[in-house]
Amino acid sequence: MSDSSDSQVSRRKFLKTVSQGAAAVATAGVAGGAMHAAATNPATDSGKKNKVQYGMLIDLRRCIGCQACTVACKAEADVPMGVSRSWVEYVEKGLYPNAGRSFLPRLCNHCSEPHCVRVCPTGATYERPQDGLIVIDQGVCIGCLYCAHACPYDMRFLNPVTRFADKCDMCIHRVSKGLVPSCVNTCQGRARIFGDVNDPNSEIHKLIARNPVSVIRETYGTQPNVYYIGLDTTDENTKKPGQYVRVTTNKANSPKRT
Amino acid sequence: MEQHLMWNWPMIVYLFLAGLGAGALAVSGIVVLWGPAGEFRHRAALIARLGAFIGPLPVIIGTGLLIYELGRPFRALNLFTSNFWFLALNPSPMNWGSWFILLFCIFATVYALTFIPWKSLLRGEWGERLEARGERLRAPMASICVPLAIAMAIYTAILLAAVPARPLWHTPVLWLLFTVSAISTGLSAIILVQRFMFRKPGAVRGAVRREDPAFRVTEYYLVSMKVLLIIAELVVIGLFFMFAHMTINSANFAVQTLLPGGEMATTFWVGVILVGLLMPAFIEGFYLLRTAVLGHEFEWPYVINVSAPIAILFGGLMLRYVIVVGGQITGPIGI
Ligand code: SF4
Ligand code: SF4
Ligand code: SF4
Repeated sequence: MSDSSDSQVSRRKFLKTVSQGAAAVATAGVAGGAMHAAATNPATDSGKKNKVQYGMLIDLRRCIGCQACTVACKAEADVPMGVSRSWVEYVEKGLYPNAGRSFLPRLCNHCSEPHCVRVCPTGATYERPQDGLIVIDQGVCIGCLYCAHACPYDMRFLNPVTRFADKCDMCIHRVSKGLVPSCVNTCQGRARIFGDVNDPNSEIHKLIARNPVSVIRETYGTQPNVYYIGLDTTDENTKKPGQYVRVTTNKANSPKRT
Repeated sequence: MEQHLMWNWPMIVYLFLAGLGAGALAVSGIVVLWGPAGEFRHRAALIARLGAFIGPLPVIIGTGLLIYELGRPFRALNLFTSNFWFLALNPSPMNWGSWFILLFCIFATVYALTFIPWKSLLRGEWGERLEARGERLRAPMASICVPLAIAMAIYTAILLAAVPARPLWHTPVLWLLFTVSAISTGLSAIILVQRFMFRKPGAVRGAVRREDPAFRVTEYYLVSMKVLLIIAELVVIGLFFMFAHMTINSANFAVQTLLPGGEMATTFWVGVILVGLLMPAFIEGFYLLRTAVLGHEFEWPYVINVSAPIAILFGGLMLRYVIVVGGQITGPIGI
């Protein structure tokens, strides 16, 4: 090769650049490690991307299935006949004398990875950066209901009066004034706890930390912010051998889709 | 059941029409770009022209239907105007789709205009100028329209396949199924219109005569292509079931609505498979084989002649119906 000296030089230069780069990476790694250590204080890090993340914890051991939340929600948000933002499912299991019935209140999970936001073609459905709630901008929505198909929880519906998509908005008009949502306010058994899941001093944070909690359909990767204590995910299609299971949704005029 | 459907007939008809228009346009563009020359020249030009005229119409009608169903026509503009940069960075399939529809309608209309016989419509210099310009624009327009049409056909399936919460839609085969069905229905629409035009023996349209040998030969190849597309569609439907069946969870439950005993089974097996695929395949296959094996003329009774493409169009509509409704009456299992 005629230009061997040239290639020698460039190789040396290359090695130098690489070693500098490696040093830079190493420094960044140390700094990153320090930052990481600071961020993973187990008391404050919930893994949620928003600083404030409102959520709800529902203690199913305390729910008596009275549907007061269903009614309160209907009145609070003036939800038209035939559709619902929140409802309580009745789950019956077993055969007499070994039978039982449990209750499962449902509302929008205000997911941290919401599929409804991903598919909305206008950006009408969005995540509020200040509190992580998922809301619908009624001035932008076109009522295409793509979001309603994308929600794995069947929470969205077409509001027959406005003709736009609608769902639980965690009562933003109340919570932004420091009140709790209407359904939480009315709950007789104090089964519904509302709060900031990131705030280590909040009741919801402490209860989530202390108790075995679960969310609905975790496998969809939506990272719901409505947590349940004592959740049983069995339904007619997933029951174990010999079990009798019947789920009544009580969602207005709509059967459960399985 | 019907009252719980969030996407109903307007959506079903739209998906069908969008596929049909895209298919017809793709066939037309492909014929313009790679079509035969020589004695088949006039015949190819006729197919290209019909495809170009059929292309934009169903898409415009279907889109109009959807916008009408939304109830507030001008709101639909939010698809383009609201949050442009947010959506450019976080694209939703429906947002892509609306841009596809817009581009499709514009380019397909311009493409169709290049086929209008301006010379016979307008007297004088203008007619000649427009026709010359049309002929020059045709091939470049076709090379834009073919990819656009295929993108459009794929988008109609991606729209459904993008939502994991609908296990029947969320399958990697749906785009293939809808694309094959789109091309098959588009081709059938072209063939159907042609058969109306050349109904009478001795019919002449421009430079094409029904009695020409080239007419029969082209017909033979068109019909063979259609039968091949039907076979392809049957294979893809087989794949569709296999994918759903091999999935342990919700998809396996969802596909039960299409299998015997399910809610949609009769519509699917009679409407889509029997009427839409097997019947035309057998009728047309019979006449094809008669010509290929026994050397008969490729000639058949008029009623059968038009009923085969009509059956394929019906099957295409039923396929959209079954998928759209079946996807909505099924859902994830477990609470
Ligand atoms: S529960 Fe459904 S509607 Fe609510 S945020 Fe999650 S995906 Fe969206
Ligand atoms: S219905 Fe409204 S909120 Fe839902 S996807 Fe369509 S535009 Fe977005
Ligand atoms: S938070 Fe408000 S909107 Fe949501 S379920 Fe409760 S009462 Fe209804």
